[in-house]
Amino acid sequence: MTGQIRNFVGRWYSIPLLLAAWQLAVSSGSVNSRLLPSVPQVAEVLFAEIRNGVLVYHAGVTLGRALSGFALAAAAGIPLAAVMARSTLCRNLFEPIFFFGYPIPKIALFPIFTYIFGFGTPSKIAFTFLECLYPVVVTSYFGFAGIQTRLIWAARNFGASQWTVLWRVILPAALPAIFAGLRIALPVAIIVVVLTEMIGDSIGLGYYISVWSTRFTFQNVYAAIIVIGACGFVLDQILVRLCGYFVHQGHNAPR
Amino acid sequence: MRVRPAVIQHWLVPLAVVACWEVFGRLAELPPYLSYPSQILAALWSLAADGELPGAVAVSLYRVLAGFALGTAAGMGVGIAAGLVTGVRHFFDPLVSFLFAVPKIAFLPVFLILLGIGDPSKIGIVAFSCFFPVFVASRQAVLSVNKRLLWAAANMGAPRPTLFFRVLIPAAAPQLFAGFRISLAHAFIVLFAAELIGSHSGLGVLIADGEDAARFDLMFAAILAFAILGFVSDRILMAIRKRMLKGTALGTEETIAA
Repeated sequence: MTGQIRNFVGRWYSIPLLLAAWQLAVSSGSVNSRLLPSVPQVAEVLFAEIRNGVLVYHAGVTLGRALSGFALAAAAGIPLAAVMARSTLCRNLFEPIFFFGYPIPKIALFPIFTYIFGFGTPSKIAFTFLECLYPVVVTSYFGFAGIQTRLIWAARNFGASQWTVLWRVILPAALPAIFAGLRIALPVAIIVVVLTEMIGDSIGLGYYISVWSTRFTFQNVYAAIIVIGACGFVLDQILVRLCGYFVHQGHNAPR
Repeated sequence: MRVRPAVIQHWLVPLAVVACWEVFGRLAELPPYLSYPSQILAALWSLAADGELPGAVAVSLYRVLAGFALGTAAGMGVGIAAGLVTGVRHFFDPLVSFLFAVPKIAFLPVFLILLGIGDPSKIGIVAFSCFFPVFVASRQAVLSVNKRLLWAAANMGAPRPTLFFRVLIPAAAPQLFAGFRISLAHAFIVLFAAELIGSHSGLGVLIADGEDAARFDLMFAAILAFAILGFVSDRILMAIRKRMLKGTALGTEETIAA
């Protein structure tokens, strides 16, 4: 029991330590207190804004956009990766898009998205979809392409139909790679939505941050950052749990 | 000369898109904000000729490279230390797992006030966001180095610096480069947003100016320049990686995303 406590303290001591250093720096007056409000001030704003629903509302908007774009990218990207891995024609057609497109900073295209889809939610979801599509497709492609042909032959030999092979052999074998891709794409989705909200919007956590930072009220900015960090952490943990539930061969599951 | 069908298929989709874009643009079927390819190239040429583009490219490139270099060096140093020393790892792990999904651009206001609106704030925010992917990759790389390699070298009497530079770093190098690549991509994303939100110079400003003046050909030209810059930087990094990892297994990702 004491070992467990020591282990827990050993793992998490840095956060209270950093908060203490933060508080010490503020109360000693060595940093500008407008720029770095004290810990209780931030906590007070955080709880007040959660209780009156403002942060909850903006977080809901941001998460809704991020998860929609993410879900669309997963729904389109995983089948596309499977088809690319199985058909030479499709691979030849789509490979250059992912080959050349991967290193291009796609954020540069965001102004075009705002012209086509407007400034609101649709342009953010469409752009998140594009940003998430790349890691999802590229990573799951390797999962689908790396399946040992022997497994498929063996299943076919036992008289399994195409569908059975897909659902019972190919998909389970590619699942670790698919989850690895999703885990890369999820923080990308959150980052991209907040970023585009900061560039221009009237709702969402990104908007909240940009408004309060132009008013130099940094306790609200830090409160919003804490909310984003908590959301990202929780969503990542959910994905890890889902992965543990679906992926049974523990040795090649992403950790 | 016969062209292989795979090559034709490779170029089919991109060429078809550009061709349709050009044709519909010339027929004036597209909305005015979608300049077509030949307009964009002409705008790119005129921007390059009057010196506006080279200036903006130089400013953006300086910021991105300085930020990338600083953030990567810090991320690699701390990441390797975290991989080697349990205490360091336990100190940074909770902080990184919390901050990883936070858009680092959210800290831009803080950087702007601390470092001003010029280059230092951009370099700072780029370095800050490059730190995290490199930290995660370096920590993981050091932890996953085969211990038997280290034992074998230590057994043959290799001193600690030799172990570090001749065994540990080469064994970790492929994963380190994977981290560099992710952080380079982050560097361009953050720089773009930082220049769009608060800056007086750089490619992001050129894009915003084109948009404000409703000169969409100029906007697209600057976007194209930004995309080319990101693409070429990634290629250079990959070329360096290929040279430095000569003789090691580069991994399977070579075929598509390398």
